[in-house]
Amino acid sequence: MNMSWIENRFEENVIITSVDLALNWCRKSSIWPMTFGLACCAIEMMSTAMSRFDLDRFGAGVFRATPRQADLMIVSGTVTKKMAPVLVTLYEQMPSPKWVLAMGNCAISGGPFVFEGQYNVIEGVDLLVPVDVYVPGCPPRPEALLEGFLKLEEKITGKRRFPGPESRW
Amino acid sequence: MEQIGNMIGWETVKMVVGLVGVLVFVVLNALILTWAERKVAGHMQRRIGPKEVGPYGLIQPIADALKLLGKEILTPREVDKPLYYLAPMIIFVPVLVSFVVIPFDASLQVMDINVGILVILAFSSLSVFSILMAGWGSNNKYALIGAIRSIAQNIAYEIPLLLALLPIIMMTNSFSLKSIVEAQHGLWFVVYQPFAFLIYFIAGVAETNRTPFDLPEAESELVAGYHTEYSGMRFALFFLAEYTNIFIVSAIAVTFFLGGYQGPFLPGIIWFLLKSYLLVFVIMWLRWTYPRVRFDQLLNISWKALIPLSFINLLITGGLLKL
Amino acid sequence: MVERIKAELGATLKETPVGEADYRERGYHLFAEVASADLLNVARFFDERGFYLAALICVDYKEYLELVYIFSNHASLCKVKITLKIDPAKPVAPTISTVFDCAYWHEREIREFFGVSFDGHPNMTYLFLHEGIDFYPLRKEKIPVSDEDKKALGAFRPGEGEDTFFVNLGPQHPSTHGVLRVVLKMDGEYIEDAQPVLGYLHRMHEKMAENRSYLQFLPNTGRMDYLGPMAFNLGYVTAVERLCGIPVPDRANYVRVILTELNRLSSHLMWLGAYLADLGALTPFLFVFDDREEINDILEPVTGSRLTYCYFRFGGLYNDVDDAFVAGTRAFIERLRSRFSLYEKLVGGNVIFTNRTRGIGVITKERARKQAVSGPVLRGAGIPMDIRKSEPCAAYGEMDFDVPVGTRGDALDMYQVRIREMENALNIIEQALARLPEGPIMTEKAPRKLKPPKGDLYHTVETPRGELGIYIVSDESDKPYRMKWRVPSFSNLMIFPELAKGNLLADAVAILGSLDLVIPEIDR
Repeated sequence: MNMSWIENRFEENVIITSVDLALNWCRKSSIWPMTFGLACCAIEMMSTAMSRFDLDRFGAGVFRATPRQADLMIVSGTVTKKMAPVLVTLYEQMPSPKWVLAMGNCAISGGPFVFEGQYNVIEGVDLLVPVDVYVPGCPPRPEALLEGFLKLEEKITGKRRFPGPESRW
Repeated sequence: MEQIGNMIGWETVKMVVGLVGVLVFVVLNALILTWAERKVAGHMQRRIGPKEVGPYGLIQPIADALKLLGKEILTPREVDKPLYYLAPMIIFVPVLVSFVVIPFDASLQVMDINVGILVILAFSSLSVFSILMAGWGSNNKYALIGAIRSIAQNIAYEIPLLLALLPIIMMTNSFSLKSIVEAQHGLWFVVYQPFAFLIYFIAGVAETNRTPFDLPEAESELVAGYHTEYSGMRFALFFLAEYTNIFIVSAIAVTFFLGGYQGPFLPGIIWFLLKSYLLVFVIMWLRWTYPRVRFDQLLNISWKALIPLSFINLLITGGLLKL
Repeated sequence: MVERIKAELGATLKETPVGEADYRERGYHLFAEVASADLLNVARFFDERGFYLAALICVDYKEYLELVYIFSNHASLCKVKITLKIDPAKPVAPTISTVFDCAYWHEREIREFFGVSFDGHPNMTYLFLHEGIDFYPLRKEKIPVSDEDKKALGAFRPGEGEDTFFVNLGPQHPSTHGVLRVVLKMDGEYIEDAQPVLGYLHRMHEKMAENRSYLQFLPNTGRMDYLGPMAFNLGYVTAVERLCGIPVPDRANYVRVILTELNRLSSHLMWLGAYLADLGALTPFLFVFDDREEINDILEPVTGSRLTYCYFRFGGLYNDVDDAFVAGTRAFIERLRSRFSLYEKLVGGNVIFTNRTRGIGVITKERARKQAVSGPVLRGAGIPMDIRKSEPCAAYGEMDFDVPVGTRGDALDMYQVRIREMENALNIIEQALARLPEGPIMTEKAPRKLKPPKGDLYHTVETPRGELGIYIVSDESDKPYRMKWRVPSFSNLMIFPELAKGNLLADAVAILGSLDLVIPEIDR
């Protein structure tokens, strides 16, 4: 349930429900990520949750270990063929509404481990689960992950929390 | 209005108003405590906690609660349905009953039962049932291990809890919470019974499954313990019950040892809340400082250290009272 | 020592000659090629003399397969390379896992990557690869898996027992272990058996090495161990320099030492935080990340990255350090020294922590040798071996530091050893900063296209986790013919099943944390 699908479907004199707006605001203010660190990007994800780049400021500091209580799966690291069924099982155990953030080059498209004759790396986690936000980098800086987070919030509500760089010009 | 009052009886009206007040307080308390936990954790860890969601992050718990309300209601296929559905509902019963007898102020007590503390202790033992139902009904190995650990821990620590409160009951000759608070008019009981206070505090922290005694929810070992398979609002109920339990443990400590609602200048309820929240802060402080105690060490602390000490304390108190 | 072993080995082997190799070029002192029948005798020979099996490598020369056994010694420096040629059409070899326990897993790995079956090996399920792979990955040609192998190698399936049940620890962890899955057979709260299942992060580094030139492989080394990438970088770069004979200027050597020690600090700090998070205390985790961010602040302007560094080049460095770096490092050392007292009060003096770690996971010297553990785990068990002292590379030979050794071999000793190693690292950095010479950072003699001479090399380096061994076989082209990484975490993990037996689940987590594992380097 991202942006209201009834928006822009009728004429202008139909107002979308404010319950929807309120619920979306609540969902974006309290995204609980699941601890799914696979490889090097996991360390940068942990750095983002730590004191310097505090992710808890945005309400996302509660990392739940069980998928049943998490909203966001941050796939940080390379997905191999052995890990793929585990990832899909965890994704299906999460209750809706749920989101997936592909962090790092490996999760986006296999990263630096794609070469002629490769036999074990899945080239991108979006071959397994639907991905909402892609954060590139090897590993992406914590600021990049925070920006990906804000992008996810923008995707949920339609409005951006802080002004982005482009709106200054 | 007069007629309704005469028909139903003023006592009933007072009780209903009291219960509604208690419910409102429970919800508010849970909201405040979740916010406080994250802020306290943040500041102890050299960062600020929630900040963007409302001023100082004050609306964060409301966002959390509404988000949990809006989650999909998911029932895993293989769970034992009656147990799975009942567990989060039953965990709230002891909490609400305990609030009925706690004296917030000299006149702010829903009902002054003359066996007040017995009611609280009896009902808090019932929370063990709901944990067992959650663990078994989830049909999940981790939940079951977590539930079994929690039951052993709860049963082991209820005994020192009770034994630490007995000296106070012996000194005041009454089970009613209000008379215990009134008996501390001159000097708080913590001066007479410092060991009992410490034992009660430690046993209380263990009863609420908080670190350093939080093996039932040990994240690094058991995913999430007995509420692994709960999502959305059901999980929120477990969460709420845990935070309310923390407040109840602190409230009883304040009532028995720290003078309840008594204090100069400010109205009684302000003193009561101040003292209770101070103890709640200490409990949170413990959580973010200490690692977890291993399970057999935990049971050893209870059976080999706390119970003998509380017995000795009881004997000494009994002896001194006789003289 | 080397002469004595040569004489005794020659006497044992009788027909085959024991050759002497130039240690500076090859990394080992003696080599011998044995036949299949003699292998077990040779293994027993080395076991009696207190050697340990440093590495077990298989190389696919297309006409034959060669198994390379490298035996090394804790007490004095003596490395022996024993080779065994196998027919590629019917690859069979005897197992030495009855003598050296660590060979058990090495042989499993060779079985699934090369197809060499070992006579008498008890268990052959897949260790790294997923079920459904139908060729042997590291062979030079694509050889399909034979049917009997398909039956023997299957995925790991735990059987059910009467009073026991199986619990999975992972592969999704709420802590920082990464994707390690340990299948525990539990009887109530006690563990009867622990079987790690690896391969969830197998990123084919060794196969990539054969497809990439030496310089193109350099970024991979940083991603193998993401907590101590400088040490892996250092090992690889010094190995290739040794193979090609490239000299390195002094300034580069000193800077390499400073950066590797800073990385060692960062890795041990992270271990401290993660270990305490496993035990339940979440606050030191955040304090530790604070210190790590300070280290990143120093290293980022110099190296350009925060986590997976790729800073050393063949022949030196690619960027010079400036005065800001020196000043920043000195300020950081002062700050960290004062933080140690904070950690001591919060962690070391905490009675709950000492109760959780004292007497847990005791490693005896004999088991440490048989399982070829290395690094702080080995030193905690009581054996004072540090590769920075016995085989120094870069400027370690000129540094003055001691080797901390534990007495009991339990998890608390590992903690103490790592704390003292951190203090040593601070001392080394101070010494190196004081003696930092001026001069070039890159030698002029580095060839543009790197084509090492034909031969092989076994090079070791001390990473924060233990002994990293790099075995390079070069055939004069610009790509390595075979590169094998003997990683310390793989060897350290081998001792975990026997330590976990009979313990509580909480203790198993404490033991696993004290071994300081990083999974990408195990899975390579």
